Amino acid sequence: MYLTYPSLNKLIYGVLFLVFFCHETTAQENLHYKGPLTVGKYKGDADYGYKLIEGDTVLNGSFNLKKANLDSLLKKQDYSFDFAGNFQNNYPTGYWKFQFGEFQSNNQSQVIDYQYRVAINGVQEKTSGKIVKGKPNGSWTYTVSKIEDSKVSQTLFKSSIDFNNGVPQKSFRVENDSLILAGRFLRNGLAHDEWSLYDSFGTGASENWIFSNGLLNQIQTEIDGDSKNETIYGTFSGTTKTINLDEKYIKAIAIYQFANSGFDNTVGGKMQQLLAQNAAYYKKIDDILSELGESSFLPEFKVKVPYFQLTEEEQQQLVLISENYEAANAISTSFLADTQLNILKLSDNNAAFQYEIIKKIAEDFLKPIGKLLGYNDQDIIEFAPRQQLIQKLWSSGKPSATIDVVIVSDTTNNTNRSFSLDTKEEFDFSNNDLGSLVQLSLYARESLSSIKNKLEERLTNEKRQQELVSIEEKLIAKQKELHIRIDSSANNSPSSIKKALNILKEHSDEALSSYSSLSKIESKLIKAKELSSCYDQLNVLAENIIKLPEQEETIKIKYQDRIWNPFMATLMDEEVKKRITSAYRKVLVPYFLTHAQEEFKCKDAKALNVLMKDTYQRMLELRVENTSKLERKLRKETDPLKVIALFGLQPIKKEQ
Amino acid sequence: MKNSISSILTLFLLLLAFCKPAMAQDMDGEILPSESKFKDPKTRLWINTYGNIRISKRLFWVAQTHFRFEETEATPFIGQVGQIYNRHAIGYIYNKKINAALGGVVRINFNTDESSTDRNVVPEFRIWHQYQFAQPLYSAMIYHRIRIEHRWTQGFEENSDYIFRNRWRYMFRAKIPLNNDKLAPKTLYISPESELIMQSGKTVVGSVMEDLRLTTTLGYILTPRLTVAGGLMYSQGQTLENAGEFKQNWTLRFHVYFSPDFRKVKNKLPSIHLND
Repeated sequence: MYLTYPSLNKLIYGVLFLVFFCHETTAQENLHYKGPLTVGKYKGDADYGYKLIEGDTVLNGSFNLKKANLDSLLKKQDYSFDFAGNFQNNYPTGYWKFQFGEFQSNNQSQVIDYQYRVAINGVQEKTSGKIVKGKPNGSWTYTVSKIEDSKVSQTLFKSSIDFNNGVPQKSFRVENDSLILAGRFLRNGLAHDEWSLYDSFGTGASENWIFSNGLLNQIQTEIDGDSKNETIYGTFSGTTKTINLDEKYIKAIAIYQFANSGFDNTVGGKMQQLLAQNAAYYKKIDDILSELGESSFLPEFKVKVPYFQLTEEEQQQLVLISENYEAANAISTSFLADTQLNILKLSDNNAAFQYEIIKKIAEDFLKPIGKLLGYNDQDIIEFAPRQQLIQKLWSSGKPSATIDVVIVSDTTNNTNRSFSLDTKEEFDFSNNDLGSLVQLSLYARESLSSIKNKLEERLTNEKRQQELVSIEEKLIAKQKELHIRIDSSANNSPSSIKKALNILKEHSDEALSSYSSLSKIESKLIKAKELSSCYDQLNVLAENIIKLPEQEETIKIKYQDRIWNPFMATLMDEEVKKRITSAYRKVLVPYFLTHAQEEFKCKDAKALNVLMKDTYQRMLELRVENTSKLERKLRKETDPLKVIALFGLQPIKKEQ
Repeated sequence: MKNSISSILTLFLLLLAFCKPAMAQDMDGEILPSESKFKDPKTRLWINTYGNIRISKRLFWVAQTHFRFEETEATPFIGQVGQIYNRHAIGYIYNKKINAALGGVVRINFNTDESSTDRNVVPEFRIWHQYQFAQPLYSAMIYHRIRIEHRWTQGFEENSDYIFRNRWRYMFRAKIPLNNDKLAPKTLYISPESELIMQSGKTVVGSVMEDLRLTTTLGYILTPRLTVAGGLMYSQGQTLENAGEFKQNWTLRFHVYFSPDFRKVKNKLPSIHLND
């Protein structure tokens, strides 16, 4: 048979197409990676199969990640791990094995056959089992062993659970070094029948939790041969909700117990701890698998709890209660901690009365509400019957709208006084429902607000008074300081300085006496603060004036040159830049002194202080600067403001 | 023996012959009196300015102008101008205590002899150099000054020739502060001084002590650059004409000392701390 030319052409195209297509499919099916890989906190050597789908790596085929470092083992210790299993389209599937080790070598080695062997001590964790689509399936055992001399010396933890598609089945057993828990599940994963917890350590006490269809009926405890039955949910027949057996379940039991008995009595702590330990180990595996692909590896031990769902109205009521509580609590906390009030209540009967009322409201109204809101925050309020819960929160009945207190006094007899709002008739909080609690919380809030209004004014005044006393004390101290400063140096000073200082002293005395003639506390407080900072400035000013002769002397010495007199063959001091020094001595210093004696203005004192300080500084600078131009301009200049400007200083601003 | 006597005689005659002209010349001039004669003291008034003008780190310009008055018969005390001095030199500062100067003097001499019919004014020229040493002594300072002058003078007579003489001067002076512990501005000081002026030259025969000056002045330092002083001087010395005759003077002296420094500030600093 001869192939015609066109048909041959078609055949070639067909073959090329096939080759191309086949290449594409094999590429998608099978890729392999071997090399370093980091998964979460695990960094090791990986060896796995994968495929690329739209640029994403999808794990497929066998997977292995491991690390063991002999060097670090011999040096200090080694954290080793080894994960091996299979993925199918990114889901862990099939037989998986996990191993974690934390080992130290005991530094003894031996050669056996053709290998070096090093004995190790440490802890090894291992678990293995089947996984279907990321969920445990079949029997899983998790073991944590203590290793000594390369042998298992103690089992620190062990759990054996049967799963069906992630749901625990049949019986399970979890133990650690002190507790053993064994129990059964129904096919749907709900706890059933008797769960037994033995304390293998110490007392040998045991706890039997009797479940029926997920609902915990009772707990039998046996300690030293004494057995005790505690009904938990009994034969509860109302609405239930299925939840996980975890910390929240324990809290749910506690709130239910409280609603029944009025006592806080937590049960099941040990069992929960053991299950939490188990959950933590499972989470470790889940973290690794979730990091790699899709998985939900957590074992869910399911239980049923009585469920008292909040209606929409009740939820709104809870929001209101919470708002009232926050507002009321803020007031009571701040007042009870207010040092001012705590002092005032000792001397003032009214304040003592108000303090006691606040205390009582905090105790009788706010504290139980706080507890209720706490349940709400923990999301367990729905696991107890509301009415009973509220009743138990106020075990001795709701507080009255008329609040009675006893004011204890050391000097006089104790007195009874009571407080109520004028609008108390409008409030009714006798019922044991959330609606009543809205009323109760509102009453507490309004009561506290009204007390706050009365107290605040009182306390502010008190505070002002105290503040004033302390400012006045400081004021007097500063005044005294000024007097001492001036008196101790005035006598040794030149007369112009002495005169200025004495006038300064007179001005400060006048200011103080005009202050003391004020009567209103507000204006007194303002003036006292003003005067206090003013006296600071006056003290500085006095010091500046006292320092003037000393500064003049320093300037005089600084403005001298050593000159050689050829007739005497002697070095002599010669004053240089005389126009500058004389402007300082004859114009600026008298200006400072006059200004200091003028009408008493604090703002001016401050500005004068700055100017005096700057002037002295400038004089020291001018000595070395080229000042020929300045000296020329200073000739016969007697206006201090012009001299200040020529020196390049900031003048004292005239008050607007 | 006879031979030896005659040779001694010859030698004596020879000596006589040599000596005779000299004696004859002496006979021509003044004859030395049997005892020294002291002329009546004259009174004089000197007003002197002394300038030391700094021109560089080590050099200064000495500029002095002196006005010297002498009593005359018409004006007994202050008298009339006798001499006007113009003394200039360049000084060299060796260190703070030692300096030297070299320069010239033009002196104008006025004829104070009212009866004279000769010239009224004649110039006189000098070249001079001096060496001054200072020493601190407690709060005072003492000074030694050696001054050598080469002097050409002429008389007032018409067409008189210049005669050349050398002057050898040594002055010892102290300056003692009175109201301070050192010589500084605003200080009053007292200054005793004595100066011996010797001279030599062909025309100087016997009158080697030209002048001995004993002075005390009171000075006041106004600033490092300006000092004023005033004092009284007694002096005596041999006259040139006759070594046996001494002239005497009482002189009132007034001095102004100034020492400006026109150098730029940057050249002045660090001023005159030469070797301290």
